[in-house]
Amino acid sequence: MIQLPDALAISFAVGAAAAFVLGELAFADTADLRAIYWLAVGTVSLRAAVQLGRRGAKT
Amino acid sequence: MKSFLRSTSSATDPGSPPASARPARRLYERVSDLGSAAQASVPGAYAWAATVAPAAWSRGGGTLAKATAVLALVALAGGWAAERRWGERARIASLWGFVLASATTWSAVPAALAPLRIDAPRGLAGMLGWALFALALAAPSLQGKGTAAPAAGDAEPLVARRRLARGDAPYLAAAALVAASLQTIGWRVAGAERALLVRFVALAAGLALIDAAATLALARHARGVRRGVRLRGWMAAVVVLAMLLLSGLLFALRG
Repeated sequence: MIQLPDALAISFAVGAAAAFVLGELAFADTADLRAIYWLAVGTVSLRAAVQLGRRGAKT
Repeated sequence: MKSFLRSTSSATDPGSPPASARPARRLYERVSDLGSAAQASVPGAYAWAATVAPAAWSRGGGTLAKATAVLALVALAGGWAAERRWGERARIASLWGFVLASATTWSAVPAALAPLRIDAPRGLAGMLGWALFALALAAPSLQGKGTAAPAAGDAEPLVARRRLARGDAPYLAAAALVAASLQTIGWRVAGAERALLVRFVALAAGLALIDAAATLALARHARGVRRGVRLRGWMAAVVVLAMLLLSGLLFALRG
């Protein structure tokens, strides 16, 4: 059974993937500010997912 | 596929016919007899045909572009021929000769690399070719039974130290799928610099996603000792994320 923190971590990772897609679309659209914003959201979201997923890990 | 597996796996059976009698096994042995430069020359030729030759023989491609394109192919073939005699040195010379000659070709015809003149399937084929070429050169070359050095206990099957946990593959498969789909965006961007930036961002984001997925998958098996130690770390990331989202929302409402 999947635990709540793991589900949260997965949802953060999915959110990060969506943010990266939006960021890349914005870059392709030459909307640089919007692209940087979405890439920052994706990076922080991915960081949260990894930190949440690694809570209590031995390594 | 089944016949190939049968033909390769049954080669070690004592009662089976000799391996050289099997076509698939024979092909594998013949490929194994080639060096790594020769094995890499197949994807190298594919990458050349997909990305270098069209640029050299495109409209505006001058003599220099054509000459360096031919030189790249010669370097690739030269590595194949010279590897048996000069070994590692020939492989390195072939690699650099091929890459530098290809780069010179592209530099001589910069207009041929404009995004509007490269359609998406050819761009993807070129990327795949260069990736396979790099992989074939960097990875250890295939070694047949006859050329491989005998290892201790070679006759006995190796026993795995532990089984891979179930459920890791979906993490990596999902991340690889997203990373691959990121590569489909931005192929119609005008301007070489912008197109390169989009490709670079897609590559970096894909690698970050795959790395995070591997970390998440592995972390599930390594829990239990320091529970709660990284609590502050993820809460800080979540707070920053919330602030980012809130500021984005406010900015959108204001705009």
